Parts: sequence; C-alpha cells; structure tokens
Amino acid sequence: MMFSNDGFLTDKTSSSNSGQTHVFTSFPNSAVDPDDEHFGNQSSDTDKLVLPLPATATDAKPEQSYVWQIEYYQKYFQIDTQQVLERLAASVTPRPNKSYFDSTIRQNPDLYGPFWVCITFIVTVGISGNIVNYFHLPDVEFQIDFSRITLSAILVCLYWWLMPTFIYFFFRWRLNRIEYTFLELLCLYGYSLAIFIPVSVLWIIPINWLQWTLTFIASLVSGSVLVVTFWPTINSDHKRLSAISMLVVLLAHLLMAVCIMFVFFHISDSNINPKSVTTLATTTLSSMSTLTATTTTTATITPKTA
Amino acid sequence: MDTDQAPFLTTSTQGIDMIEGDITLPSNRTNSNELSTLDEPVLDTIKRDLGAVFRKFGYAVIPRHSSTLLQQWDLWGPLILVTTLAILLQSNATKSSAGAQFAEVFTLMLIGSIAVTVNSQLLGGKISFFQSVCVLGYCLLPLLLSAFVNNILLYIPTKSTISILHIIRFLVVMAAYAWTMYASVQFLGQTQQPNRRMLVLYPIFLFYFLIAWLIILHAHPK
Repeated sequence: MMFSNDGFLTDKTSSSNSGQTHVFTSFPNSAVDPDDEHFGNQSSDTDKLVLPLPATATDAKPEQSYVWQIEYYQKYFQIDTQQVLERLAASVTPRPNKSYFDSTIRQNPDLYGPFWVCITFIVTVGISGNIVNYFHLPDVEFQIDFSRITLSAILVCLYWWLMPTFIYFFFRWRLNRIEYTFLELLCLYGYSLAIFIPVSVLWIIPINWLQWTLTFIASLVSGSVLVVTFWPTINSDHKRLSAISMLVVLLAHLLMAVCIMFVFFHISDSNINPKSVTTLATTTLSSMSTLTATTTTTATITPKTA
Repeated sequence: MDTDQAPFLTTSTQGIDMIEGDITLPSNRTNSNELSTLDEPVLDTIKRDLGAVFRKFGYAVIPRHSSTLLQQWDLWGPLILVTTLAILLQSNATKSSAGAQFAEVFTLMLIGSIAVTVNSQLLGGKISFFQSVCVLGYCLLPLLLSAFVNNILLYIPTKSTISILHIIRFLVVMAAYAWTMYASVQFLGQTQQPNRRMLVLYPIFLFYFLIAWLIILHAHPK
C-alpha cells in the first residue's frame, strides 16, 4: 500500500489503472435491472425473454430434499379430497372379488388419511366419554380427563403402527415375500379405523347389548376388509397357518375396539370408579399382549411340526 | 518518504474538483419510518403497533379480502387472545388443578397450530408457519367473545340441570364457532388448490371444535 500521485492510498498493482474506468462484463442475474429502458422495448416480445429467469426455474433435475425439510415428506401427501373420500368408503365395504387395495391405495399410498382418521377417532372417543361421564356418574367433575385421553391416544396410535409392523415382518420372514410395503400397510390399517368414528358416537347410548353389538359388527366389518386384502397373499401357504394368522388379525381388531369401549363407555350395574376402570384396562392390555405374543409364537412353531 | 508524502500533506491545487452533496434516499413513508422509529417517542410506537393489532382484529371479525393478516403477520393478537381465553376457562377450577388447566389451553393451541400448519404445508400450501399461527390466533376472537358471554350468563341463577340457559350458552358457542370457521376459511382456504381445500380445512375444523368444546365444558359446572 502506498500513496499514488493523486494522493489516494492504493494498492501497488492497481496503481497503473488508476485513470481507467472498470467495465464489468460478467455479473449475476440479479443485477439486471428490469426497469432498464434498454430491455423495455423488447418486453412485449415473448419469444425472446431477455429478462433472465432465476436459476431454479430452468433447473432440469429436481432439488434434493433432506429429512429435515418439509418437501421430503410431501411425497406421502399427494392426495386429493376425492381420493380420500373414496378410500374411506372402500374401507368399510368388504368385497371378496375386487380388492380395493389394488384399485385405490396401491398406486398412491398416503399418510394424510390414516393420521387424521386416528386423530378424529381419539377426539370423538374423548368427547363421547366425557358426555357419558356427565350423564351417568354423579360425582365426577365435568372436566376433560387428559390422562384417559392420553391412554386412548397411545393405544390407538400403537395399534395403528404395531399391527403393520408385525404383518410386514411376518410376510417378510415367514413367507419370504414382500408383497406390501410398510407404507401401504400403514395406510390400510389407518383407513380401517374409520368405521369406529360413528360407532364411538353411538357408544354413548347406555344400553349394554347395543354397545357389544356395535363393537362386534364394526370390528367384523373392518377386520373383514383387512382379511380380504391379505387373503390372496397368504393363501399360498399352509392352510392352518393362513387361517390362524387371519384369525389373529381379526382378534387384534376386536381387542382394540373392546379395550376402547371398556375404558370409556362400559356401563355395568355397579358404580364404576374411573380410576379402577383405567387400571382394569391396563391390566387387561398387558395380559392380552402376552397372550397374543404366545399365540404368534405357537403359530410359528406349529407349521414346523405339521 | 518525505517526497512521497508531500503531495498528500500539502493542499492540492491540481484541479481535483471537490464534489459535495447529500446522499439521501427518495423519501417514501416506509423508509422514513425505518430510519426514524428508533427516535420516536415510545407512545407513538405503542400506538402504531396497537393500531396494527386492532386492525387485524377487525379483519378477523369481518373477513374481507386483504393481505394484511397474512403478509404483515404478528403474534401479539394470538398471545393476548389465548392468554385471556386460558384465564377465563380456569376461573371455576380448584386450587390444585388451576395451573394445569391454564396450561392445557396453551398446549392445545400450540399443538393444534403446529399440526394444522404442518398439514397444510405438506399438502402443498404456500403458507409459512408464523402466518398460519397468526391467522388461527386472530380468528379465535369470536370464540373468546362467546366465552365472555357465557361467563356473564353463568351468574344468572338457575335451578334445573338442563335449563334454557344451558341451551342458550350452547347455541352462543356454536354460533361463534361457525363465525370463526367462516373467517379462517376465507383466509386459509385461499392458500390451497381447490381439489385439496377440504383436506386442509378439516384439521382447522377439528381444532376449533376442540376449543369450542372446552368453552362448552366450562359453561356447565356441576
């Protein structure tokens, strides 16, 4: 750094160019002024687009999205209102010859439907349980009991995730076929809970046999949709194994419905204390889970002996 | 050294034109605001911000086509509304559960806003998180007014469990719920393509229904 002739502090290398004007020839796209009158004359000509487009518009390859970006998960939500309604209607109509799975879900499994069906189910169960408490138990405060709602939320979400996990691994290791991806199984199980939403409103009616009938019918209908979907895949194996596994699917469905009904809605002759109902539900849950674990192990053991 | 520095130190008479002038931007309102808000009196700042908040309340209550709510979002309105609602809803709670009930309203509001916003972003909507929280919070005003009305109506003594007042309170909350839904549909429904609009609006419907249910619960003490 030294003082040039003009008296300004300059770098030695540029001191020779101190009298020149520098012309920049390469500049980024953003430096182009759209209001420049040089471009104003050609703006009406749409063929020659002199205003340079931003880089992303002309980029041919799709941008790579990462796990922490929203765009990564958008591919699970490519769905329209009409498709969601179709899938909801199809999840309650078991049709043995035409699998709704192949026609609707297989092309485009989504996570919107299952997630919001589960949330709606939890919300309706919570609100209906609240109404039941208000009308039938005289000494309970009419406030939302968040512990029971949390219990039911955990139960429903666990059911929605665990059953597809079991079935996926069962297909993969037992049958050595990956017929359904995990996402499709999630989608299937999520939509199968849709029938329980109106049923949970009907569970408010305090007639004992009506509640049991509703539970059985609803879990039979949606369970049969599941069974009909899985039947072609599992039919190729031993008859006994396929029958047992379909029975397990149906029973798990029924079990989930019965648990929800017991925790929130069941009216028996004696005055039920809500706390004891919750402990009863948790003990039945733990005993039933050990029972299903033993049935699956026996189901895996018996074909070896058969 | 001396010879190098000599032209610098002596006054130059070699014809360097002295250029004088002022560098100012062409003055429009926002620029002068940006430059001078630091010096203005605090009362002016408060008045301007409060005016913006109340104007947004007006837009939320009488939904009009304006971009104010979305583009100049702020979170003061939602904060005021949710705090007031939480205080109103725990006024008949016992001493031990009062804090938990206050937190329940906040948690519901927060988780609900996050869920609704993430849902609309996942379905391809072009709205940012804070814009959505802003709109959801401002549209809560009718429900808050219904909670006020319910609280006032609670002081009228009634003998039976299901009386005409219960029904009036229920209807008031339902009317406020419909108003809230209408307002938020006007704002948030436009950010989505038409074939997915119901998918985006359904979680908003659930969210406001839960808050309306909390208000109804509060109106029926036992």
